[in-house]
Amino acid sequence: MFYNSLFENSLKILPIFLFLLFVAPVILVLSSLFYGYSENWFHLYNYVLSEYIINSIFLIIGVSFFVVLIGVLSSWLVTYYDFTGKSFFEWALILPLAVPPYILAYTFTEIFDTYGSANILLNNIFLLEDKKVFFPNVRNIYGAIAVFSFTLYPYVYLVSRMAFINQSISIIEAGRVLGLSRVGAFFKLSIPLIRPAIFAGLALVIMETLSDFGAVEHFAIATFTTGIFRTWFGMYDLQTAMQLASLLLIFVTVFLVIERISRKKASFVSRNSLYKKYDIIKLKGYNNFFAMLFCFTPIFMGFILPITELLNWTINYKLDFFNIDFLESSFNSLLLAIIAALLCTMISFLVNFSARFQGNKFLLSLSSALMLGYAVPGLILAIGITQLLTFLDNYIEFFKFNFILTGSLIGLIIAYIIKSYALSNSTIEASFQRVSSSLDDVSKTLNISGIKLMYKIHFPLVKTGLLTSILLVGSEVIKELPATLILRPFNFETLAVSAYNYASEERMYEAAAPSIAIVIVGLLPIVILSRIIKNSRPGEELWKKKLV
Amino acid sequence: MEKKISLSLSNIKHSYGGSDFILNDINLDVSEGEIVAILGSSGCGKSTLLRLITGLEKLNYGAIEIYGKTVANKDFSTPPNHRNVGLVLQEKVLFPHLSVLENVKFGIKGKKSFRTKKAIDLLNLFRVDQYVNSYPNNISGGEQQRVAIARAIAPDPQILLMDEPFASLDEDLKKDLRHETKKILNNNNITCILVTHDIEDANSMADRIIKLKDGKIDN
Repeated sequence: MFYNSLFENSLKILPIFLFLLFVAPVILVLSSLFYGYSENWFHLYNYVLSEYIINSIFLIIGVSFFVVLIGVLSSWLVTYYDFTGKSFFEWALILPLAVPPYILAYTFTEIFDTYGSANILLNNIFLLEDKKVFFPNVRNIYGAIAVFSFTLYPYVYLVSRMAFINQSISIIEAGRVLGLSRVGAFFKLSIPLIRPAIFAGLALVIMETLSDFGAVEHFAIATFTTGIFRTWFGMYDLQTAMQLASLLLIFVTVFLVIERISRKKASFVSRNSLYKKYDIIKLKGYNNFFAMLFCFTPIFMGFILPITELLNWTINYKLDFFNIDFLESSFNSLLLAIIAALLCTMISFLVNFSARFQGNKFLLSLSSALMLGYAVPGLILAIGITQLLTFLDNYIEFFKFNFILTGSLIGLIIAYIIKSYALSNSTIEASFQRVSSSLDDVSKTLNISGIKLMYKIHFPLVKTGLLTSILLVGSEVIKELPATLILRPFNFETLAVSAYNYASEERMYEAAAPSIAIVIVGLLPIVILSRIIKNSRPGEELWKKKLV
Repeated sequence: MEKKISLSLSNIKHSYGGSDFILNDINLDVSEGEIVAILGSSGCGKSTLLRLITGLEKLNYGAIEIYGKTVANKDFSTPPNHRNVGLVLQEKVLFPHLSVLENVKFGIKGKKSFRTKKAIDLLNLFRVDQYVNSYPNNISGGEQQRVAIARAIAPDPQILLMDEPFASLDEDLKKDLRHETKKILNNNNITCILVTHDIEDANSMADRIIKLKDGKIDN
């Protein structure tokens, strides 16, 4: 009885504690705006800040254009048309999600540089004596736009595809009867109706683009993240780095707010729409070829090409693939991924159970507020957590305890949990929603409540969701670069950090092993996602069984 | 004077994916301005018949003519946007991202001022003009259905097709809307095919009632 009430009370406090832990780093970073401004700040303000802003905006505009073009059109093609390879493209279009932008940036430079694989290959094929250069330089902002577009378009593809799949066919048919052609219905109805979904996907892309450090650093593009890193580790001015980070945070928040407002305004959900199977049109001739080419290009550029190049490095340069460094960094990555994934999943499970068990609206809104951690760029989170740990260390020292938090794995784990909570929470929340609330009521009448209810009823029922969450968070943690780079303990290498270190020393071939390992781990959530999408159309199973 | 035939269905047979015929040998002529109710239980093929007339479904056998022009036979099908028919369904299929006024204006051709005036006149006729700037999700089910009928009539279709248009409404609302719709259809001499399983709908709206049973017209 005592333990049960202790458990129930702890459940009430947990989301509040977590909320404070999640916002503390952000508040610490933002507080820097109210401190004094150093000479470095004025130097940045006068000479480079405008460049950071212009480059960031240019990147966002370019990437947004291409991800919408690729993501929306490819999802439209695979949903409403039948063409050669359609069933392959349906899931393969998500594959580039497994390749982090920094790895694509490393491979792109090695492929398209003057003496890169692509130029060498073409020169060899055409037996050219003067080494001709066929491809433009990619180490610039245009190259970065290509890299982000080919790795991040799956965010828009995924949400658009879900939206197209669940779109009311009756509405499109009503438009057709009112005089719209197929193409007209696409532009006037389909696209405006899925606009909130496109915005949601685009918001994720923009946040990822603004947060990226590895790719822009490799291409030597001056953006907020490279600026923050250089200010901190080049000028050793943490204060100014935090002030820059605050500006970036404001930048990200503005996009987040715009996205929320646009979603709120547009209540595009069509209620009462009966499920109807949509007509799938078979494409022939040129149309078939162009549809196929359109879907194949992003998969080729974002997945096949980098993987081929990574394998090329591994095979042709006879690398000692499983050397001790690789094994050590793999072990470290795996260790971090397991700890962070288990903790994050456990926390989301407890928070969701708590919100459901208490039926408390405040806890529910707190739980959704925790999801905003995903939007905080890793670099900012790292700075905030460093500040938080330094602050806590001072207290620990005051109480004469003999350990320090700064530079330990704790900071890293906190950062991963904050970054991945949204992933974990959305999976577990969905699992909880599938469990009927009547089960809770019946359990209570059977005198099962508190810990017992959680352990005996909810845990077995949401087990699949928990496992999915562990896999998703684990793979996200292994890919994460900027926060890991800053918060890792001294000499503690992970796969992402190894790939970054090798690439920054231009030892590209040695970057192959950790990069391939990251991509393989990144494929895990893709398998899960493609299964979720496949089963997402309401009534699909009934159609298969010809019950409607 | 003999009235023109606005819709002619000859030897319509239809099946889904080569299974049993859901419609079997349907022959029907509908005069201009006539309201014909097709009555039948669920699954008897009445909605399929409407989908064939609109062109949303490709015809397997037979022919469909609208004002003497063949719009579908087994080799050829005019797309729905070129058939000049209006469609009202039981489910609410107003465009959720457009206001009530924009929904009604959607199918009207011509200058902006003309389209707006025509749409407002129709909304006025159906007594929903106070919602011009509202969005479909913010008005009631009955009001949504009024807007849906106004939208279907707005482009001056040669034939209006209605599939269980009053099914989701309560009794009082049904009665009012049947009466208003019939009056508007008669005043504007609009040919209408009403598909329903409710004998009350058929009796109060139709000039002629046809029963459909197991895919055939039941004489």
